[in-house]
Amino acid sequence: MAAIASQLRNYKEPGKEQLTHLFFALPSADGKPADPSYANLESLDVNAVLSLGSPGQEDSYAGKLYLFPPFLTFASLDRKSARFSIPLSAIRRVERLNARAGIYALSFTLWHGTKIIVQLTSLRPTADLFCTLLKEALKVELSKGQMKALKAFVKTCYSESLVDSSTTLSASLVKDQDQEEDKDSKVTDDSQPLYHTGLGHRFKFPGDPKKLREASKIKLWTQYLELHGRNLTLLRYPQCTRLVQVGLPNRLRGEMWETLSGSIYLRFTNPGVYRQILDQHEGRTTTSTEEIEKDLHRSLPEYSAYQNPEGIDALRRVLQAYSFKNPETGYCQAMNILAAAILIYTSEEQGFWLLQVICDRLLPGYYSPSMHGTLLDQRVFESLVQRCLPTIHEHFQAVDVQLSVASLPWFLSLFINSMPMVFAFRIIDCFFCMGPKVLFQTWWVSWIVLSILKINGEALLQIQDDGGFIHLMRDYFASLGKSAHPDSPDPRARAITRFQELLLISFREFVVITDESIQAERRKHRGEVVHSIESFSKRAAVRNLKSLERFTKEQAGLIYDAWYNSICAVPQGVKDTRLEGRGAALLVLTKDEQEEKPETRIALPTFRKFISEIVSWARDDKIVQNGFQTRVDRETVEHEFIDRLFAFWDTSYKGSLSLQDLVSGLDGVMFNDLMDNIEWFFNIHDKNKDGFLSKDEVLTLSESMLFIFRNEVGDAYLGAISRFMSNAFEYGDALLPETTSEGSPGSDGTPSQIESNQPYLNLATFRMVVLADEVLESFFDQDFSGTFRLEPTPLEELPTSNSGFLSGMWSTIATNDNKKILNKLSDEVARTIGRHKVEHMPAIGRYTTMEEPKARESLLTPSMRHSASRSSLNAQETEPPIIQIPTAASASTSSLDQTPTTPPKTTKSGHLAVEPRTPLTPGSAIHSEFSPLPIVKAANAALLTMERTPFAIDDAKDEDDDDDEDLTTDEEFESGDDAVLDEVDAFLEAHDSGLTEDQKEVAKGS
Amino acid sequence: MTDNASDRSVQVKLVLLGEAAVGKSSVVLRFVSNEFQPNKEPTIGAAFLTQKCRLEDRVLRYEIWDTAGQERFHSLAPMYYRNAQAAIVVYDVTKATSLEKAKTWVKELQRQANPNIIIALAGNKIDLVQNSTTGSSSVSESEDEGEPDDATATPGEAGGSPALDTENVRQVSRDEAEAYAKEAGLLFFEISAKTGEGVVEIFTEIAKKIPIEHILASTRGSVGRGGNGGRPGASQQGDVDLDENANKARDACNC
Repeated sequence: MAAIASQLRNYKEPGKEQLTHLFFALPSADGKPADPSYANLESLDVNAVLSLGSPGQEDSYAGKLYLFPPFLTFASLDRKSARFSIPLSAIRRVERLNARAGIYALSFTLWHGTKIIVQLTSLRPTADLFCTLLKEALKVELSKGQMKALKAFVKTCYSESLVDSSTTLSASLVKDQDQEEDKDSKVTDDSQPLYHTGLGHRFKFPGDPKKLREASKIKLWTQYLELHGRNLTLLRYPQCTRLVQVGLPNRLRGEMWETLSGSIYLRFTNPGVYRQILDQHEGRTTTSTEEIEKDLHRSLPEYSAYQNPEGIDALRRVLQAYSFKNPETGYCQAMNILAAAILIYTSEEQGFWLLQVICDRLLPGYYSPSMHGTLLDQRVFESLVQRCLPTIHEHFQAVDVQLSVASLPWFLSLFINSMPMVFAFRIIDCFFCMGPKVLFQTWWVSWIVLSILKINGEALLQIQDDGGFIHLMRDYFASLGKSAHPDSPDPRARAITRFQELLLISFREFVVITDESIQAERRKHRGEVVHSIESFSKRAAVRNLKSLERFTKEQAGLIYDAWYNSICAVPQGVKDTRLEGRGAALLVLTKDEQEEKPETRIALPTFRKFISEIVSWARDDKIVQNGFQTRVDRETVEHEFIDRLFAFWDTSYKGSLSLQDLVSGLDGVMFNDLMDNIEWFFNIHDKNKDGFLSKDEVLTLSESMLFIFRNEVGDAYLGAISRFMSNAFEYGDALLPETTSEGSPGSDGTPSQIESNQPYLNLATFRMVVLADEVLESFFDQDFSGTFRLEPTPLEELPTSNSGFLSGMWSTIATNDNKKILNKLSDEVARTIGRHKVEHMPAIGRYTTMEEPKARESLLTPSMRHSASRSSLNAQETEPPIIQIPTAASASTSSLDQTPTTPPKTTKSGHLAVEPRTPLTPGSAIHSEFSPLPIVKAANAALLTMERTPFAIDDAKDEDDDDDEDLTTDEEFESGDDAVLDEVDAFLEAHDSGLTEDQKEVAKGS
Repeated sequence: MTDNASDRSVQVKLVLLGEAAVGKSSVVLRFVSNEFQPNKEPTIGAAFLTQKCRLEDRVLRYEIWDTAGQERFHSLAPMYYRNAQAAIVVYDVTKATSLEKAKTWVKELQRQANPNIIIALAGNKIDLVQNSTTGSSSVSESEDEGEPDDATATPGEAGGSPALDTENVRQVSRDEAEAYAKEAGLLFFEISAKTGEGVVEIFTEIAKKIPIEHILASTRGSVGRGGNGGRPGASQQGDVDLDENANKARDACNC
């Protein structure tokens, strides 16, 4: 769900070019690059006047001629009177007409023999260029042998046989009876008809052919198609639109849908793909296929073909093929109804591509898992009602009726299961035909619905609730075939059905709705819809977690936010199966063999982003200061440790993590105390989970620590790690016999050399080694869990969409990339004037120098500031005494000569394990180590403020806004060594119980 | 639609929720028209039906929102359950996952919907598991199966496997579901939309729990009682008529 909503976020309004592609319904309109061989062919448009080669009856149309290899398209100036989209391979011949000076005209002979003359009215150089490009594109097309493909392809179109038969048997063309028409086609093709047919061909088309005046419609269309080309070469003149508006003839309907919607170009350019998809995925079951199976017998069940395996199988194949091809959409109820309706008129392959066009282009986002397209258009539609039918809108508001309760299914299934089918199909005819509104593809549906509301206006003003509304609409739809004016004295008026009235009104009255106004509405509502979907899916995701672990719901929400942000931030490829190669697909919708719900899982790259949102050492926060701004550049880092963490949390070995995995994983570390943390850290490096680290793993572990400490100021951690390593190997060697024999160190054994990948160090020993070092102990005790922070991460703002002329431009300008460029620019400038500074923000911040406290201060989030102020008192009281001031060098040098004074005591439990500290402490004190640990539980919160304990090199004490603690510490410095023992006592007393009053006293007193 | 009968009755908005193809629409159809269609088209968005029934001296008018079950329609559901006074969450006793889905619905309703909403949990399709089932409910009434439907499968179960041993077909035991319902404070029923078993009972029990007086007090002007014979009538396709078809409805919910 969330993943899909991320597509919403990444939504970009189509550019001008893309809009044009959409307008002409070119295959490339879906953003997929066309065949790469066309990549270097340029597109160009020129002003032109189109006229038919056979002179006479038809007008000429001024407009624009476009070359979009491999297509040549034209649209008249009004964008609706005349237009065509013709594949270049369907052009047989182009001639430059020898005409009078000043006239530049081309004559095209198209595949079907149609001749068109296009006069280029642009300036001469443009026209010349156009011709050159056209020539090149045609050459490429020729070299690819597309003409042959075209020849085979057109045979699959019914119109061919229609026109053929009309030329060969012109007299006997028009027959009322289906059977006779069947014979017709058999005359032309002796055996099976080559053209694609729908189920209706065998199972009868819905409706009475006589009543639908099939015969005369076929006749008119045959004439039209003869003159104006057909299928791939169809020229759409006003006559075409008119013929569509009266309803397509059943036999031609499928093909005309294909042609009008442009899905025919997809079928043409993807020969055999439909079959390939089916073969490729044969026998596969997915959530979608299961859902499809449930609905197969529930799709237009009253139509005879769907009471028959033939129809059911066809429907299954088409829906499955679509779900395989579009795993992110899969299958949505209502698609079954659409597909079932389409397949009455089209072959499976035709239907498949038509469904593709409907779902991708005509009803974008309608059937996606979040159904955002549906939700969005419902909002848009409601605002249209408000504008066009204000009284109805007001009434609905007053009685609290939601329009969408009724209108939603109309939009989703294009009236197919709301109206009698014959009428629904006529609406669909227009739906495919009415191209110009490319953005609000459902504008036509909206017109219809608006008209329905208008016609029923008076009755609607009477309704009191949702139910009344729905009943009224139901009754109205049932009466569509009835006369609109039954009482009229004029028989012609009586003959007008309600359906005709509906179409008339929608054509006449709602033409005012422009593409632009719809666009503006959509922009206005998009953000709202996205937000509601997002918050809905967030609630659902948190609610559906199997376990919140120890987190509160709010915290889980924060985890969700980080998770969601990372999904939005990392470009996602969606994949239906498991990851095959790391990084190939980033987002996985799993569907296991068992019945498991598809869930969104993130792969490693997304995880890196996620973890960087939460864990301070998993990111590089660079504080950049130049003269103009101070900002933090947050960068995701890649490190083996993070990969390891990923694998560690991937408890089901799927190569990806679900939200639950993350919650559980974080739970495993965020609530840890010292011992838990040590164990956790051990486990994460114990790859084979045998309870031992190998020597290699000890090294890896050290590297992990180095990674975590990489941005810390000073040498303290570096020293600690080198001590850790020497200690680890020393202890490890010393304890080898014991560890190899059993889990806890204790007895005997034979010391031996051990392979670097053999079990070497067990948890107890590891614990000992860690506890032997103050810095590490302190780190695991307080700092480590603290590096995991759940903070509200504000979602990236949706691109602000102030409607209007500039908004498109603005949205292309105000991208993140451009922001980066701006930042870079200011950095450059700053560098030249010497004011550029970059520093890493430490992940832990325990030992820091203070160079730019101001800058850091500004990094605090309000909540951090809050906690800082709350804890500052505590910090003042408790912290100073325990801080030992190291000298700069001591940390690293002393570490080497420090000997493990700790006897290898058994560490049975976390509590016991603390004991080794006692003998150790003096040692560390002697070495003038800093032992900032004990009481700091309370001060832990203060850590959030990145309070800085003084460090030897830290002489740059130029800022003291928040340095009170530090100053106190300085004073305490003198008495440091003496205080250590007291402190240790105090610590031991209070180790588990936190700070007592006494301790605070002690702390103060010392 | 706003016939005067509705003025005298108490309107109860009820919503049906549940996984796809558990038989929500069939339950409604059984209740409203006492019919059963083996292959009902999936509900797109939601369907709306009404049914009147009598409870003691009150007439209730159920306004039933039958929602789409597919997961992705989930985000539309709030539109339908807003202001609902009652909900029936349906699962399929032959499908364990459907109970899980039902639980998430219950959770969501308890959190998001009208705080006083009455929720009933209904395990549908017990006709598939009856015969020899041990844990199934006591079959109190044998419904007259006047319907001509002889389909072997319940809706959505088309092509299902009624041939299987009924013991194995059942995936959700009555005890398990009932225990859950009790814990979550829901009414609980096992029903069959196909045979009609238990369907009317649900609506009856819900009706009993509806604070009718409260609703009456809060809705303006709709006092009155169903004086003129509130025999539950089958309301057909938007045409609610109290008396017509009264005999068609069985003992229905004039309890």
